[in-house]
Amino acid sequence: MAHICGPEVVKYACHCGLLRSISQLYFCRHCSKVRCSFCVCHEVDSIFCGKCSENIPSAEARVKKNRCSNCLVCPSCQQELWPRVAATKTSANPDEPKQVVKKMHYLLCQFCRWSSRDVGIPDQSSVTGFPDRENVYANRLQEVLDAYKAVVLAQKQAKENEKKKQRKKYLSYTDITGVTAAALRKRIGLPADRTHPLLKNKPKKPDNAVAVEEVDDLPEELFTEPVNLLEVTSVDQRLLYPEAQPVKMDKLFPVHKQLSIKRSLRCRACEHNVSKPEYNPNSVKFKIPLFAYYHIPDIRIVTVEPLRAGQTSELIIKFTNPTQHQTVVSFLEIALDEPEEPEIKEVEETMDSLNIQEKQHASLPSMTSTSQPSSLLSLGSHRQPMITIKPRQIFQTLNSTVEIPTSTFILPPRDDAAEFDDSGDTHNIQDDPKLVKWRKSNKAFIRLSVTPQEGLELKTEIVCGFAMKHLYTNTIFTQQPQKYEHKVKVFLTLGNLVGSE
Amino acid sequence: MSRNNIKILPGALVCDESKLRGDITIGAGTIIHPCVNINAEAGPIIIGDSCLIEEQVSITHRLPFDQQEKENTPVMIIGSHNVFEVDCTVEAAKIGNSNVFEAKCYVGPRVTVSNGCTIGAGCRLTEEQILKENITVFGADCQMREAIDVPAKQTLQMDTLMKMLPNYHHIKKPNKKTDAFIKQI
Repeated sequence: MAHICGPEVVKYACHCGLLRSISQLYFCRHCSKVRCSFCVCHEVDSIFCGKCSENIPSAEARVKKNRCSNCLVCPSCQQELWPRVAATKTSANPDEPKQVVKKMHYLLCQFCRWSSRDVGIPDQSSVTGFPDRENVYANRLQEVLDAYKAVVLAQKQAKENEKKKQRKKYLSYTDITGVTAAALRKRIGLPADRTHPLLKNKPKKPDNAVAVEEVDDLPEELFTEPVNLLEVTSVDQRLLYPEAQPVKMDKLFPVHKQLSIKRSLRCRACEHNVSKPEYNPNSVKFKIPLFAYYHIPDIRIVTVEPLRAGQTSELIIKFTNPTQHQTVVSFLEIALDEPEEPEIKEVEETMDSLNIQEKQHASLPSMTSTSQPSSLLSLGSHRQPMITIKPRQIFQTLNSTVEIPTSTFILPPRDDAAEFDDSGDTHNIQDDPKLVKWRKSNKAFIRLSVTPQEGLELKTEIVCGFAMKHLYTNTIFTQQPQKYEHKVKVFLTLGNLVGSE
Repeated sequence: MSRNNIKILPGALVCDESKLRGDITIGAGTIIHPCVNINAEAGPIIIGDSCLIEEQVSITHRLPFDQQEKENTPVMIIGSHNVFEVDCTVEAAKIGNSNVFEAKCYVGPRVTVSNGCTIGAGCRLTEEQILKENITVFGADCQMREAIDVPAKQTLQMDTLMKMLPNYHHIKKPNKKTDAFIKQI
């Protein structure tokens, strides 16, 4: 989507003070706020392989070190490897002259033409049966890993013991009778010492790593022979396989493809999902797509007159209404320095009004109590904002002023069929001709005047900003959509200052 | 070079819509799609046997500025079994055999291409260099590696094109006999 919305000259301010283009923002309709990627919780939904589109449970993925067991990537260019069929003639019996054509497979990269034959991997009869390179240090790694696991376990055990000791404030039977636990166990016929079964078979401590004092001299060829870059691997190629880090090209080996994840995003303030993908790895759709692009009017720069210091230039921007509801847009002066207290209050107010309305919904109609209660409503009344995220200041210097128009304009709802309808624009909207230059279906072209500050140097990047207030129709509550006035701060990068005539 | 002098050997398939300018010799079995632009502005171009030149390919014989004032006109020689994929631009004066120029690549006039090389999609080679045998150029920053073998020949594709293209396009007739061409050389 970045290429549709790019270049990023129009930026919207998130609650947290970050400026992002609209394609990178989310819109939580439960708290009616714009959220950036830092204001949402990222959760891993499912793990899958991007090549074979197979869903892999997270436990299995952990065991496989987040790599697909079937798919391989090219060690030379990190693209996917594809098996190729090569028919080889092999005679099953050397005495028989009749040759049997056998299907053999080798791997080929379509991008850099690396093939498994390059490094001498024999062709395989099955597509998936390519050998993995064995790690020389696998045993040592496992030893160290086991030792650390034991340490973790011991620490956990110690902590639990401590807890038990603290809890032991009452008398136990053994204390009264004078029979110790060990004695009791002996009488029953159990071994006296009772240790945790996992602690019993303690893995042996790995040998300490020993530093070698004498290091072999570098081979003579390194100083005498010219370097052949075609034989030496690049940093990317080495880091692709950290266990071995091959130095020479002929040591490259196919690597298992890393798995991808689908993530769902959750608003940190109200814990509602703002983005949830479909489970199927083949699907690119979302179950919950609360992207700002679908809810907040999209602003794009159409034309800017050459910007000169201290002179007013005409700026034409296009507003597009992405929602199915008519909206009214108005402009407000942007205030960067004020600590944004009023906005907090406003949020709380809307929150309160939200809750009141929800409660009314929940209590009032007998319909909901007799029939099945709407899950959304019940959720809504219970879910209080978990964290109040403090708004932060926006660090963006504005070096031009926008003349804020006093009049407002209407954006009609989006109509997908309008593009194929040649009947023309039949909506009779009374527009301020000074503000609205032209309109078509759900788009309006707005004329603003921008004045860069006096005394700016040539080629300074001019940034202007305003607050956009638009009517947002919230449709979470199915009984009746609610309308809010939503405010968002918008920053436009208009280009560089040119000479003053 | 105002006069067009196009020599097409028997067995070659040259579509009529292709734009051929200058002194061009096309070897047997070579397929030239429509919308191919071959421009021999600095001297003759000789294309070898069984080359496949796809749509939107531009092959230009152009000399670098510092070499333009030489007396003898250089010849651009393209070997056999080369594949020029869609929308590649090739200006290299010497091209060997069995090379593949992938889609939208650019090879500048100072480059010499030997045999069995693959220039990857979108790669731009502009500096003066000699590509060794079986070199593969790939990736956004034109990484190079040495392939073990020459790229596979496109025989099947070319056989199909030989059958299909005459059904839908006007073809330039071969105007040279093989013997005459050999004598000429």
